[in-house]
Amino acid sequence: METESMDCESYGTHHFSSTTKTHAVVTNTVGPAATSVYELLECPVCTFSMYPPIHQCQNGHTFCSTCKVRVHNRCPTCRQELGDIRCLALEKVAESLELPCKYFNLGCPEIFPYYSKLKHESLCNFRPYGCPYAGSECGVLGGIPFLVAHLRDDHKVDMHAASTFNHRYVKSNPREVFHCFGQYFCLHFEAFQLGMGPVYMAFLRFMGDEEEARRYSYSLEVGGSGRKLTWEGTPRSIRDSHRKVRDSNDGLIIQRNMALFFSGGDRKELKLRVTGKIWKELHSPDSGVCMPNMSS
Amino acid sequence: MYVVIVHTYIHNKPTFIHISPLSLHHLPFDFMNSSEMEPRINHLQIESQVHELLDYPVCTNQITSTIYQCSNDYTGEVNNDKEKPYNCPYSGSKCTATGDIRWLLQHLRNDHHVEMHDGRSFSHRYVHHNPKHLHHATWMLTLLDCYGRQFCLYFEAFHLKKTPMYIAYMQFMGDEEEATSFSYTLEISGHGRKMTWQGVPRSIRDSHKTVRDSQDGLIITRKLAMFFSADNTNSKELKLKISGRIWREH
Repeated sequence: METESMDCESYGTHHFSSTTKTHAVVTNTVGPAATSVYELLECPVCTFSMYPPIHQCQNGHTFCSTCKVRVHNRCPTCRQELGDIRCLALEKVAESLELPCKYFNLGCPEIFPYYSKLKHESLCNFRPYGCPYAGSECGVLGGIPFLVAHLRDDHKVDMHAASTFNHRYVKSNPREVFHCFGQYFCLHFEAFQLGMGPVYMAFLRFMGDEEEARRYSYSLEVGGSGRKLTWEGTPRSIRDSHRKVRDSNDGLIIQRNMALFFSGGDRKELKLRVTGKIWKELHSPDSGVCMPNMSS
Repeated sequence: MYVVIVHTYIHNKPTFIHISPLSLHHLPFDFMNSSEMEPRINHLQIESQVHELLDYPVCTNQITSTIYQCSNDYTGEVNNDKEKPYNCPYSGSKCTATGDIRWLLQHLRNDHHVEMHDGRSFSHRYVHHNPKHLHHATWMLTLLDCYGRQFCLYFEAFHLKKTPMYIAYMQFMGDEEEATSFSYTLEISGHGRKMTWQGVPRSIRDSHKTVRDSQDGLIITRKLAMFFSADNTNSKELKLKISGRIWREH
């Protein structure tokens, strides 16, 4: 699972690391003493939470290790020359601190010790999704309905209310979203270079979490001249980046020559007919299924 | 003076091309380097020429070429292509045995120790404890017997521009015309994914290398193959189960 959100990442239009809000909740759930310790753990330079090693200057001003590199050996608070003093006491006090997940306002009810909070937040099921649009590095975050509207309005993605499709691709990289079973699926079709030369790959991603994605399956098929290639698989959650899915080869991959062969005609232009469908699996996913890591 | 008669098969119908003296490298195939063709040249009267047939678009799917020596007397007889001997399909380029199908089957079993399985459906496991050390173009041949005919199932590991790949495909032990009356599928599945290839078996008149290089089969990257091979252990073994069936279209 890709680590999606660390405290030091910028958030586009949504800011969930607003310290004021967190402090309010901290006070409500864990008491005022915790609040002041939590405030002490905020780096005065970058305002993000500090993690070991936490540094201090000779006068006792603290700052995080990221900022230590950037301040050119001068304390950011009092400008004194820096040594290599570590603030072990603060690190130890942090151990005893328990804080709510920063996505509490999106519904996460959990509270974590300071040092495991970050790890949880990178995997928290309540964290917002990143825009699944392939291509540009769109940094927009939000819930699924918000992102669907964003894809439609800002990225001009085609929307289809259907669970089957039959497309003739004459160019690669179209963007489409399918709305069925009350869910949204992103269909990707693109050309890229695998080691073996130019290939086309088609795959489906699910707008939601991996656990829910496993309730669905999809198939893609290309063919012509007595030959047919079919791929059946489980859509990947958009928690996995488009590139990660592509690089794991988790979809229908067809070499460019074969795609041209299937295109028929003079076989010089791409006119690839891809048919596919999405369906809901009747049985619940086997919890014992071992899902091997598909990334290299 | 040398004249060459090119006997080409286009959809298994022999087509004769009489040509005036031509240097050999004008011909559409690299005959001299191909181990499957044995050019024999003889003195001959020049007949009329049909140059344009040499420009026939080369579709390696369809055409097999052989050069025969012949004189005017034999022109009528060279259409018994069904009795023309086949090259041993185990070879690629190493085994130069030729013979009819019956002889080849015995040869494959006795000399190459190839297994033969009965039936239209099959399921094979390809296992290698260290797939990174699989040689380029290692291939495994299994024979399948059904409909009174025999089919060769190949599984090969090779590199395509540095990407390790595997390919599985079927060839028909017989001529192209009959081969096209069959279809076959190959399927790999596991962990909620399934890849299926449906194709038409190529005649063994095409070398297995030709078919492999045209990628006319189930082709899979090693990365994906390892995904299908994965189990609860952390082993990096290749354990691919390939199932399939053959049927007659008409």
